[in-house]
Amino acid sequence: MKKKSSLLSRIVLVLTLLFFYLPILYIIVFSFNDSRSLTKFSGFSLRWYEKMFADPTMMEAVMYTVIVAVLATAISTIVGTITAIGLSKSRRAVQLLVERVNDLPVMNPDIVTAISLLMFFSVLAVRKGLGTMLLAHIMFCIPYVMLSITPKLRSLDPNLIDAALDLGATPFQALTRVIVPQIRPGIISGALIAFTMSFDDFVISYFTTGNGVNNISILVYTMSKRVNPSINALSTIVILLITLTLGIVNIVPVLREKWSAKNQPVK
Amino acid sequence: MKQFRSMTYPYVLWISVMIIVPMLLIVLYAFTVSGNDVLTFQFTLENFHRFITDSVFRAVLWRSLLIAVITTLICVLLGYPIAYIIAQMGEHANTVMILLITMPTWVNMLVRTYAWMGILQDEGVLNSLLGVFGIGPVQMIHTSFAVILGMVYNFIPFMILQIHTSLAKMDKSLLNAANDLGANPVQAFLRVTLPLSVPGIISGITLVFLPAVSSFFIPKLLGGGQYVLVGNIIETQFLTTGDWNFGSAISMIMALIIMLSMYLTRKVDVSAASNGKE
Amino acid sequence: MAEEKKKLIQFKNIVKSFEDGQVVLKGINLDIYENEFVTLLGPSGCGKTTLLRILGGFLQPTEGKVLFDGEDIVNVPPYKREINTVFQKYALFPHMNVYDNIAFGLTIKKEPKDVIEQKVMRMLRLVNLEDYAKRNVTEMSGGQQQRIAIARALVNDPSVLLLDEPLGALDLKLRKEMQHELKYIQEEVGITFIFVTHDQEEALTMSDKIVVMNAGEIEQIGTPTEIYRRPVNEYVARFVGETNIIDGVMLEDDLVVFEDKKFRCNARGFEKNEKVDVVIRPEHLDIVPRGDGMLKGVVKSQLFKGMHYDTVVETRVGTSITVKMQVSQDKPVVNDAAGEKISANGFLIDVEDVSELDDAKIVALASAEAWDSETEEPVSIKTVVNDIKGETGNYTVTFSTAAGTSITVKALVVAENRVVSKVYQEEIYAMNFFKKVEDIQESMALDTDLETWASASAWSLEDGEQVEITDVKYDFDPETITPGVYDVTFCTEGYEYKVSTTRAAEEGSEVGLIFRPEDIHVMKKGVHR
Repeated sequence: MKKKSSLLSRIVLVLTLLFFYLPILYIIVFSFNDSRSLTKFSGFSLRWYEKMFADPTMMEAVMYTVIVAVLATAISTIVGTITAIGLSKSRRAVQLLVERVNDLPVMNPDIVTAISLLMFFSVLAVRKGLGTMLLAHIMFCIPYVMLSITPKLRSLDPNLIDAALDLGATPFQALTRVIVPQIRPGIISGALIAFTMSFDDFVISYFTTGNGVNNISILVYTMSKRVNPSINALSTIVILLITLTLGIVNIVPVLREKWSAKNQPVK
Repeated sequence: MKQFRSMTYPYVLWISVMIIVPMLLIVLYAFTVSGNDVLTFQFTLENFHRFITDSVFRAVLWRSLLIAVITTLICVLLGYPIAYIIAQMGEHANTVMILLITMPTWVNMLVRTYAWMGILQDEGVLNSLLGVFGIGPVQMIHTSFAVILGMVYNFIPFMILQIHTSLAKMDKSLLNAANDLGANPVQAFLRVTLPLSVPGIISGITLVFLPAVSSFFIPKLLGGGQYVLVGNIIETQFLTTGDWNFGSAISMIMALIIMLSMYLTRKVDVSAASNGKE
Repeated sequence: MAEEKKKLIQFKNIVKSFEDGQVVLKGINLDIYENEFVTLLGPSGCGKTTLLRILGGFLQPTEGKVLFDGEDIVNVPPYKREINTVFQKYALFPHMNVYDNIAFGLTIKKEPKDVIEQKVMRMLRLVNLEDYAKRNVTEMSGGQQQRIAIARALVNDPSVLLLDEPLGALDLKLRKEMQHELKYIQEEVGITFIFVTHDQEEALTMSDKIVVMNAGEIEQIGTPTEIYRRPVNEYVARFVGETNIIDGVMLEDDLVVFEDKKFRCNARGFEKNEKVDVVIRPEHLDIVPRGDGMLKGVVKSQLFKGMHYDTVVETRVGTSITVKMQVSQDKPVVNDAAGEKISANGFLIDVEDVSELDDAKIVALASAEAWDSETEEPVSIKTVVNDIKGETGNYTVTFSTAAGTSITVKALVVAENRVVSKVYQEEIYAMNFFKKVEDIQESMALDTDLETWASASAWSLEDGEQVEITDVKYDFDPETITPGVYDVTFCTEGYEYKVSTTRAAEEGSEVGLIFRPEDIHVMKKGVHR
């Protein structure tokens, strides 16, 4: 009985993973396809990779995606951290207000946020492009950074800042030496979320950009009408990078633990 | 502590300008006459009236809701067993499975949807596979099936993760207690596990229904140019037709429908919880 | 001792109200001298921690001044004050080891490395943790964390150390040890300690001066002896130590009346016939043969405590009341067709209570219940039909289930079903009642159930407050009870004196109590806050 159900579970899990990874395998396989076809594999080649590197619009899109993601992550992490800390010492009403407003871009469909920004930039007659896209990304990243930091702040001993001040630290020193080290995991995961949100964003970027500035998502969307296996090549590289990063992020702590376990006498 | 409070002031200013003002613009445009510029707006309900009275738009709205509901249902029905199976596994296998399920979501949604385009083609991978069994080719791309598949594929990880979280943090001794009090495994599941995972299901539903109802690139890529959902109309109003007022009104209607359905879902959650008490 | 020393800290009319309008400090005036061990004592919410946080600089007073060495420091930020704090739950920095925690303040001041090391090691020796410098603070026990917190504060050479309930998180034995250690450290470093606690024993053990606080105000300032022997009011007397407080009247200087007897005492400055509270500490009372006693009573209980006995002597019995309990043995009605059984008992009800009657109350009064004959699972009672009116008489009540299983019982509406008894300043009240044999046999806590069934309650006529019913007496065996009428008596406690004595006495024996005039402490009647 027990055996049977676990066999069934195994089949379900295998099918699940197959479903999740089918498109990804597909991308990788067809990125090496010799022909333009997206349906028939006619031999191994690297021509789409060459094409991709030679294509200035693709390279530009990659560049813009990275620039926006890096800047948006850096700025939203810093602002989000500072605000979250300040908020944790603020009055309940202010906390609630900021939380509610932060919920708007998180809870609203992306398209609503996107058109609101589109109209906002247009009304102000701002020329849409890299700048507006970056502002939009910062706007939707900060709430996620704060969502990841706030619980960490809540679980801190409320007297920690007081203790630092009491021992002679200025408020700034209290933040940098005591509070930030305490909430570092929250800040890191917030930055990671911000980076992926920005890197993958399509809807908001699509509506707030202009002037020929595209990111990878927009490129895929606009190219989807014409068959372009270079997208597969680009995606394969992105997948490779993500797998590597995730691998490192997940394996390094394990290794470190093992290493420190080896080097510390057992108590 | 005053100096710490002042750290929030820049952000309060920022959200007022970057979140509140743009959102208010939607409301402003939705209720004003098309073609006016911002300073000479004129109040009207025409935009809403137009959407509600036009049978084409009504049909699109209806189809969007239907597709979103079907997607959400499939996500619950498939996601729950998957999450449950994972939660039953050992700690290590658990972490690995969750990682394996999260990993594809790190790959750009557009890219993954784009891949499905190729897979679902008439002469694509799936149809060749069916061809081996002598079936097809079945028309899959540019059908509702493709759109729903694309949505389920993109959004089911949220459902699995939410349900898994609520199942994983459940106190295992509760099940022992239920067994101790004479419940058989099925009863224990129905009376203890399922009610306790309802919050996970609810937040999963929220996370699936919301993007499903407003999605516009999945229908465009997998449904083809003629396949129109609410999101596509909004896109057209802003990027092709340029009728912001009408587009804002549609967005407001969509946002209201989403808020209403969230509210109703929460209600169900609460009443389910209180039913459990009886 | 204190007179020679100079005032280090002066609180001048400190008022603190929070944003929600709550006033936690209502004008505190307090002087603290150099090298003093001062304890702020009071229950939680009395404002003692708020006062400490104002001194530490973490809160700003709404009104008033804080003088430190004669200078107002209200606007000086905490990091510029020569004051350090040991926080509740210590607030150690979890990401630093023991050494780095203690060195934190010195590092901030950018002292040279070797100086830091020297000072930190000296502190570690002072608190007996030399070997733990490189340990992670999260791995340390509560007592060790406590010492680290003290070392971390003291290493900065403050002129005042604030301690906010530092022993609260420790177990009893460790707490006692730390009391001595704290006192030792204070004498060793020779600075002012301001200690906040709600534990009177801690305050009495360690302090040079105790400040008793209550609801944002200071009730009394004094040495431990003064606070203990001459509390200024009932609040202080009760908060500090075990005590007996008796209502009395001041006849003239040095003459007080309580328990209808005149006693010599040392008390002046009261009005003639002023109502007062008389305090006698348990250790100032002693047990003697009844004839020799200044007060006479009965020993209620005695507990051996090693050095002495904790004895309770009752000088007056409490209030009591007896009601009738009619026990019936109603067989349940069986409905074979539906496979159900139903049972209920008759009940008594006061005319005055009829108007408040509803179906649920009737079901409860009659203990009506129905169940499935097979499975014993309860079946809900769907209808309650009754003809009860708001006048005395016999009525009937019929309970039935959805399947039609029904039972009819009597309900008696009576004019004066409650019984009231008044003795001294107390009133007790209860009602006669009906009950089924099974209810009594199945009761898990019969005393409590009897109280509930009889609606028994007692209260003080002086202030209207509820008085506990401490004893329920009956002479049936609940296991073997048969139908009939039984007496049930509910009693409250009488006037009792706690006596701490070395003399053994039998429970129930008649004894006398003696005390010396100088051990009677007379206080003004306090307003209950």
